[in-house]
Parts: sequence; structure tokens; C-alpha cells
Amino acid sequence: MNIFAVLLRKEIKELLTRQLVISIAAMIFVFYVIGKSVGSHSRASGASNSIVVMDLDRSELSARLLKAMGGGKTPIKPSAFTDIAPAMAAPEHAAENSFLVIPVGLARSVEEGRPSRLEFYSRFRKDASGMGPAMAASRIRKVSALAAAEASAYALERKAPGLPPAFLRDPAPAEEYVVIDGRTEKVPLGQVVGFIQSQSYFFPIAVFFIVILSAQMIMTAVATEKENKTLETLLSSPVDRRLLVLSKLTASSIIAAALSVAYMLGMRSFMGGITGAAESASASAAAAGPALAKLGLVITTQGYLVIGLSVLFCILCALSMAFILGILSEDVKSIQAMLMPLMMPLMISYLMPIFIDLSTAGWGIKALLYAIPFTHAFMAPQNVMMGNFARAGWGIAYQAAVFAVFVTLAARLFSGDALLTLRLRLPGARKKAAAQ
Amino acid sequence: MDALKISGLVKKYGDFEAVAGLDFSVREGEIFALVGPNGVGKSTTLKMISTILTPTAGAISVFGLDTVRDAHAVRGMISYLPEEAGAYKNLSGHEYLDFMAMVFLRDSRKAAEAAAYGARLSGLGPRLGDKIKTYSKGMARKLLLARAVMIRPRLAILDEPTSGLDIVNGYEIRKTIKELAAGGMTFLISSHNMTEIEFLSGRIGVINKGRLLACAAPAALKAQFSTEDLEEVFVRLTQ
Ligand SMILES: Nc1ncnc2c1ncn2[C@@H]1O[C@H](COP(=O)(O)OP(=O)(O)OP(=O)(O)O)[C@@H](O)[C@H]1O
Ligand SMILES: [Mg+2]
Repeated sequence: MNIFAVLLRKEIKELLTRQLVISIAAMIFVFYVIGKSVGSHSRASGASNSIVVMDLDRSELSARLLKAMGGGKTPIKPSAFTDIAPAMAAPEHAAENSFLVIPVGLARSVEEGRPSRLEFYSRFRKDASGMGPAMAASRIRKVSALAAAEASAYALERKAPGLPPAFLRDPAPAEEYVVIDGRTEKVPLGQVVGFIQSQSYFFPIAVFFIVILSAQMIMTAVATEKENKTLETLLSSPVDRRLLVLSKLTASSIIAAALSVAYMLGMRSFMGGITGAAESASASAAAAGPALAKLGLVITTQGYLVIGLSVLFCILCALSMAFILGILSEDVKSIQAMLMPLMMPLMISYLMPIFIDLSTAGWGIKALLYAIPFTHAFMAPQNVMMGNFARAGWGIAYQAAVFAVFVTLAARLFSGDALLTLRLRLPGARKKAAAQ
Repeated sequence: MDALKISGLVKKYGDFEAVAGLDFSVREGEIFALVGPNGVGKSTTLKMISTILTPTAGAISVFGLDTVRDAHAVRGMISYLPEEAGAYKNLSGHEYLDFMAMVFLRDSRKAAEAAAYGARLSGLGPRLGDKIKTYSKGMARKLLLARAVMIRPRLAILDEPTSGLDIVNGYEIRKTIKELAAGGMTFLISSHNMTEIEFLSGRIGVINKGRLLACAAPAALKAQFSTEDLEEVFVRLTQ
């Protein structure tokens, strides 16, 4: 056989361990769970993907606009309401989140060469997550492009000489309004969607990495002491074993606390960028800032404190679990595989809210997610922004309880035989050990 | 009073009986060696005496105190050197000795004294200022040995203390152990080195498959098997 083939076979054999196979299987399982619940969720939630149109102009132009917009993929639902507020409140529109108002006098304005407007209203819940908001935004973008083209054609057909090209290109530009919790603000839809997405993608991923980092840190620390047998020396010393656990947890907690402070500062400056606090951000962001604030999308100093606390307890939970996994690890090498039981819930609580709008999720999905202590840290920013401090507080209390349970378990494991004799061996490793 | 008294000691790992009923005792100031083939339960026995494993059955008393019930008090009298132990690689030799002295003695004045004594015992001189990760196997072993005895425990439990040491260093360590024993320190060691055992120990306990086969002074064992070679005694006993 070719020497390269021999080498290649050896490398693949080395890489394709049972641990890797189990890790891959676990990963597939996580995605299966998420896929399943996303599927059932989107069937159940039945969120509308149409736009409710209130034609107040009832002119030739508005009829043409309706027809043009109807040519796209988005279903257009004409409505007889004459005002936006009662239309949104109407029970038959409870599931609708996108509305268009064609104002009175649109056709006349365009004919006379005066710019008019099309009012797009997008309704979100403050705890919205997932793909919904982005999809709503893209729907509106497409529909308003169709409307703009048709309005422009209408204006051009009237052959109005001396009118500025900018007017002719878009005689009735879209005006975007966002409605959150009954508060309506004129603010670019993209800003709000970006903000909501930062809640479900950006902040959780930072927490995700901090958790993995600190978990690996403490697992390596425990497994290294075990492998070097420095642990046996410490255990035979007159030092209280609870102190040994405590010192390790405290050391990693201090580092974890530093990480969560860094996280909070990072988040603050990021939010500062969006809501355009004192520092100069980009012009449009600065302009949108007050509007976002009026919509209630701001975080106060106490809010940051609560979020930081939640992130800290999230890390503490992970640390205490990782400590136990470290005790059960055979050696430093097996840490990657031993991280799996921590990775799975972490991935579920990170990925699930990306694909599912939690504000409309079923209780089964919610129960699964809230049972995972990490979820509460991921949700903390939203809870705080909704002013739902009670829920954030309960989340922290739950995290603290989980932490207490695992620390007690860790201390118990640490003071018994288990530390030296108990090992979570994967099936392959056990066979090998038995053969020896 | 015996420094160490073991009666009916049994340790099971799951269903496997690693130690299957040991009885022996060690007098104060004695150097007692446990010998036997690989995997017969020597280290397991030493770990139980060091209070880091709990016996499945039987009892161990160290200077009259039970290793399970009075574990904390026992830990204050012993010092245990695991086989193939490592140290904190990013500490220097000095830092390691200081840290360990503090852990065992918890009094900064006593600890400083012990660490200085340990530094002398280790014979590493200026290399003590270097990080432990730069040490050779033998240097690290000498540091760990110095750590084990610098706190002047009443009972020192050393698992294969001189493995990995060259002839000169091994010889010096043995001499130190003998001197300390003459000063009243009790030693329980395990070893595969017959020369070492003959030089050091008052009595040896030969174990096989978790049981004690013989327990006597080397000279008595040689007489019993009418040979001049302790290794021959060992081979005939364990076959
Ligand atoms: N943590 C453990 N779990 C299961 N079995 C173990 C464990 N530690 C040791 N054993 C088994 O117990 C038996 C005794 O082991 P021990 O380490 O005490 O032997 P030993 O006499 O010190 O051997 P050596 O001379 O090689 O150091 C061996 O068969 C070993 O495989
Ligand atoms: Mg051994």
C-alpha cells in the first residue's frame, strides 16, 4: 500500500474516536430538537405574513397601487378602517403586524407635483425574538418598492414637465412607523429590527463564549491537578476540603466576574452606538436614538446591573457544573468530550430563540428553555427592557438555586472516594481499560 | 503505641478486590517497606493510610487515631508522596515549597522554616528559582521528596520515593531518610528496588494480589529461604 494511504488511515483512525462520534451524535440531537420545535412552533403560532392596507384615498392611483402590490408574494388584505389605531386594535387584525395607510389626497398631491407619503406601520412585541421581525421588514421593503414603482409610473404618465426627477422617481415615499406596546414612533424599521436581532444574536453569543471559556478554564484546572496528582497531595493535607473547592470556584468566579463586567461595558458601548447616547454615533443612529427610547427600548443603570448579575450567575452555574465534569474527567485530554453535557443545554438555549419567537412560543418550548439556567441570562436584556424586573429577578433566583445544588454536589464529590475512583468513561475507553 | 496499625484492610474498586485483607503494624521510628509485583495493591494501601481513599472494610489507625473517623487529625501527622506525582509547573521550586509548607503548617513562621529546610534537602540550589516545568524528572522527584519530609511529619508515606533518581541522588535520599528515621520519623515506603529496601528498611511486607505473604526483617527472610539474595526471596514468595 502507498505510504500516504497508510498515514492517512492512521490519522483518520486517531481522529475518529468514539468521543467524536458521540459529540457529533449529540450535536445532531440538539439540531433535531430545535428543528422539531421550530416546525411545530411555526405551525402553531400562525403569525400572519400579509399586509393590511387601508385605502383612504380611493382614487385611480390607490387602486393601481393596490393592484401592483398584489402582484408580489405578500398577500394584501384591504381593510375598511379609516384610522390606524382602531384598525390595529380590531380583533380581526389581532394576528396582523404589518399595516399600510394610503392617505387621503394621495392622487391629487402626485398630480399637482407635491410629494406625498405611504405610511407603513410595523407592530412588534418587546420580547420578540427569532426571524419574525427581519421577515416583516423585508416584506415591507418589497411591498414599498412595488408601490414606489407604480406611483412613479403614474406620475410619469401625467407627463409633468419641470418636476424634479427625485419626485418623479418616488412621488410618495414610504414612511415607516413602528408600534411597540401601543406606542407608535416614526423610526426606520431597519433600526428596530437590528436592535431586536442584537438581542437574540449578539448578546447571547458573547455570553455563550464567556461560559464556554470559564467552563474550560475550571475543568482544565481540576483535571490537571488530578492528572499531576497534585490533588492527592492536597487531599492528604490538613486543609479543609471545602476550602479547596471554594478556592478553585472563587478564583474562576473572579475571572468570570471580570469577564461579565467586560461584557457589560461592551454591551453598554454597543447600545450607546445604537441609541446614540452622548457619544457621536452614526447620524441616522443618533437620530433614531430618541425614537428607540420613546418606544421603551432602553436600558437603565439598574437594568445593566440586573443583566450583569444574571450573566454572573449564568457563569457560576456553568462553573459549578464544569467543576463536577472536571472531577469526572479522566485526564486533560478528555475535557473536550466532557464539555458535551454543558454544551448541549447551552446550544439549545442559544439557538432556540433565534429560530423561534419566544413571545408566541408554546409552553412546552418555554418550559424546556427556562429549565436551562443559561436561558435566563440570554433573556435578561429583554426582560429588563420590558420593565419586567420581577421575571429577571426570578431568573436570577433560579440560577442561584441551580448553582447552590451543583456546588453542594461538587463539594460532596470532592470529599469522597469518587474523586479518585469515579470516572465517566465513554463506552470505548471502558473496553480498553478492561482489556489492560 | 504503634505508629501505624492496619487490621483486616479491604479495598474494592467496584467488584474488583484490590486489597484483600491486610494486617500489619509499624513501630514509631521504623522504616517499613511494602514490596510486591505491579498492581497488587501497594499504592491503594498507601492511599487509604493517607486518608484519600476510604477502606471498604477493616481499619487503619495512625498513632491511635482512625483514618476515617479522625481523618483531619491524621492528616495533621502524615505526609504523603504519590507515585509519579507532578508539581505546579508554573511555580518555581521555591514558590512550590513555600506554598506546600503553608498548606500543611498554616503558620507563616513555621512554614518559612520548613521551606528553608526543604530547599536544603532538595539539593537543587539555585535551580530552585526556576520554574518547575524546566526541571528534569529526577529534579522534580527530589523537590517532591523534600516537600514530603520538610514539614517533619510523624509518619511519612512515600510511594516509590527514589524511582527515576540516578545512583548518587538515590543514595543521598536514602541516607536522608535513614537520618530522619533515626531522629524519630516513621516511614512507610513502597519500592521495587531490593538494594534500597535492604539498605533502608527494618522490616518489609511482601504482598501479592492484595494479601500479605510475609512480614519480617530482610535478614530473617533471607535466612528463611536460605539464600543471600533478597530478590530470590521475592521471586519465590510471589510465584
Ligand atoms: N481508581 C481505580 N479504579 C479501578 N481500579 C483501580 C484503581 N486504582 C487501582 N486499581 C486497580 O487496583 C489494583 C492495585 O493497584 P495499585 O495501584 O494499588 O497497585 P500497585 O501495587 O501500587 O502497583 P505498582 O507497583 O504498579 O505501582 C490494580 O489491579 C489496579 O488496576
Ligand atoms: Mg503503585
